[in-house]
Amino acid sequence: MTPTLLGRWQTRLLLTETVGLVITLLFCGGTFGNPAGPIFFWLLQYIVLFGLGWDYLYIYIQSWRWDQDWPAALQWIAALWEGLFIILIVEVANLKLPGTGIAPGWHLGWFMVHYGLVWLAVFITSQSFMRLIFPRWRFRGGQWL
Amino acid sequence: MSTLPGQVRLSWQDPVTGEQRTPLLTCPITLGREFACMPVELHGQRVARIVLNSSQVSRYHTLIEWVQGHIRITDQNSSNGTWINGVLQTSCHISSGDLLKIGPYEITLMFTLDGRGLPTAEASEQSIIQVPEPANPVPEEPAATPINILPPAFQAHQLVVQDLHATQLPVEEIDYLAVGAGLGSFIWVDFLRICGVAVQQIRALGIEDRPYARYQRLCLNSQIPAHERLRSNSDSCPDNIWGWPGYALREAWHEFNKGNMNPALQYLWQVFAEPTFAQTYTPRSGNVFASIDREAIRIGWPQIYRFGRVRAIRQTQDGRYAIAYSPGRKQTAFVVARHVHLATGYPVLQFLPDLKAYREQTHDFKSVVNAYEDHRHVYETLERQGGTVLLRGRGIVASRILQRLYEARQRQPNISVLHLMRSPKPQGNRFGKAQRLVENHFEFQPFNWPKACWGGTLREELEQATPEQRTNLLADWGGTTTADRRDWKRFVQQGVDQGWYQITFGEVTQVVPNTQARPTTYIQEKGLRGEVKLEADFIIDATGLDSKVKASPLLNDLVTHYNLPLNPAGRFAVANDFELLEMRNHYGRLYAAGAITFGGPHAAVDSFLGLQYAALCAVDGLVAARAPNLQRLNGLNSLRQWLKWVQNQTP
Ligand SMILES: Cc1cc2nc3c(=O)[nH]c(=O)nc-3n(C[C@H](O)[C@H](O)[C@H](O)COP(=O)(O)OP(=O)(O)OC[C@H]3O[C@@H](n4cnc5c(N)ncnc54)[C@H](O)[C@@H]3O)c2cc1C
Repeated sequence: MTPTLLGRWQTRLLLTETVGLVITLLFCGGTFGNPAGPIFFWLLQYIVLFGLGWDYLYIYIQSWRWDQDWPAALQWIAALWEGLFIILIVEVANLKLPGTGIAPGWHLGWFMVHYGLVWLAVFITSQSFMRLIFPRWRFRGGQWL
Repeated sequence: MSTLPGQVRLSWQDPVTGEQRTPLLTCPITLGREFACMPVELHGQRVARIVLNSSQVSRYHTLIEWVQGHIRITDQNSSNGTWINGVLQTSCHISSGDLLKIGPYEITLMFTLDGRGLPTAEASEQSIIQVPEPANPVPEEPAATPINILPPAFQAHQLVVQDLHATQLPVEEIDYLAVGAGLGSFIWVDFLRICGVAVQQIRALGIEDRPYARYQRLCLNSQIPAHERLRSNSDSCPDNIWGWPGYALREAWHEFNKGNMNPALQYLWQVFAEPTFAQTYTPRSGNVFASIDREAIRIGWPQIYRFGRVRAIRQTQDGRYAIAYSPGRKQTAFVVARHVHLATGYPVLQFLPDLKAYREQTHDFKSVVNAYEDHRHVYETLERQGGTVLLRGRGIVASRILQRLYEARQRQPNISVLHLMRSPKPQGNRFGKAQRLVENHFEFQPFNWPKACWGGTLREELEQATPEQRTNLLADWGGTTTADRRDWKRFVQQGVDQGWYQITFGEVTQVVPNTQARPTTYIQEKGLRGEVKLEADFIIDATGLDSKVKASPLLNDLVTHYNLPLNPAGRFAVANDFELLEMRNHYGRLYAAGAITFGGPHAAVDSFLGLQYAALCAVDGLVAARAPNLQRLNGLNSLRQWLKWVQNQTP
């Protein structure tokens, strides 16, 4: 992948709010035996929101790379970091993110399952389906609009 | 040749085009990025001002003067400094043969202090040979003749289609015409078919029926057999416009089905982690050709292709284009088309001037060869009787030849290799915060351009740049590189350790036959410490191809007839969507792709993915111009077409 900043933002927004949202709604409904509730929805919105900021950092790191690319391996490392960041905020810094206080409340294990599944779905879609429905996407650094 | 005191021969390889530059100049000489920022006169003497395009070069970077019997170089407070033989200098005396490095430019300076003979070969302008072609019934005509065989109608600016019919020669009228019928043409036609155009609306004119025929020949000559890997990534698929599934996934799947889990996982790991944690995956040439064969049948290429050597292209008065071609010896026929796509590839091979001179003098075409010519006999002879090879050039082709020589050595240990390079390579190109990797004087990069040139930040930056900025950027990103392949590095290291491979630096002064008629290369080492003589049984020139449009009779005729602008690299000046705007003719549109458009909005024009990008832009442009039966490809329509590709159904 050789994303541009705009491409990162557009792809992130599109994929988390479609593929990611479908999975999240399943979690909200308690489909996986998890406690049902809107917290998963809110967490997804925070992931997107913080992600838009992280993208800024990634583009900066990318400019140090001769090929100005972002291999899949780095995408995974970045995703791990983004998940960890949410955990740090909630578990360590004890920040109460608005919307996450509603019952049934934060549960570390379920967050990890939810986040992991959302990321996996987003990653796989970006590697395959995106190219098929947006043939210009790969030439435009991830911009689909 | 003799020179005056204070005369210096500068010689370098242009980082954008790879051409050799060897001007002989009189001091004072200034080097910088902007002509107007350098002084016109110094101490009453006229200044020779040399412009070097790169963002790493300051507007006025360095001054070279003749001071009291010495040549002195003074940095002009440049941002990135003046390097002499790898050392940063503000001001110093230099000796002949010293290497001056400014940004991506590595310039050898040669002079004699007393003004006596400066033994540097004058570079001939036309140091090129034709790209090897198959034996075929319609030979290329020398540059001056093609117009003579054409009817008088072709002298007009815009010809009248009735005049063509009046000649009684065959005339075909069609919507879309691809000139060249090579890979670039094939990819454009693939897009047209997928976007809704029917087989009978398209014609492709060329001299070989398989779209990859010429490319494959160049691959085979430069030692890439079917099982060897190319230099493009997994999703550069000339047979699949979506790039998915890429070659890595397909190869992994194939291995998986044979029960070979290890290679399957390795390919997947490579595409996942390359280039940072794994060696970059590249497809086998044989797999790429086989996939193109499948796609060619699917889109009806055999019905679209016609044999014909294209002679001339003209606008017609009714807003189309007339193309004259030879379908056979001494025959002429015409196609009148509404939309034309030009992808004729490299017109000629660049040949080092001293080697070309050697061949012309000795008529020995066996000992001195170009890497892109068929030179199997070199390896066959070496494997039989051993010998010494002098290799010139340090790019990917040189690596492939080294690999072939390494393999030959497994059969015949009596082979040694002298690798002649113009100058050491202590550090790689810089751009912004990044720098390219160098090892053993080879500069590494997975592909021929930094990856982001195809679809990332660099693609965007180049597209938005002015023509002048583009030249700077291309110089910064360009230059000769090879792939960071573990096996190649191992061969080099082994060769160096065991002594059969040796790297020598120097500027070639001449190549002449010795008493046993073996080619002997004389090189100038640093500081005029006398000439060094290198004897070899074979010399292989692996320095490059050339794509100046003036070298092709067809393109040259088009440029002169319509007074078309060329870009700073001497190629077609195309718009961002690869249209030749000056050729626009009412509804008619003419597009170009491939090496003939290099130096413009896209760096990687000469690559599978670059050809796909150019074709996509051109087809989008045609959709906007309401070209017949063409639909914009997107969304579900695109998905539907992909499913057809999967099932191998006609589009
Ligand atoms: C050795 C080598 C290795 C390469 N490896 C890679 C790689 O690994 N990955 C990658 O992406 N790219 C690679 N490339 C670059 C690029 O993909 C190929 O050069 C590709 O073939 C370019 O396609 P093209 O259509 O521009 O030219 P070509 O495929 O050469 O097609 C041009 C055609 O036009 C025909 N033609 C020219 N003039 C006329 C005329 N007047 N009338 C009729 N026909 C004419 C020629 O005969 C030729 O068949 C490589 C190039 C070379 C030389």
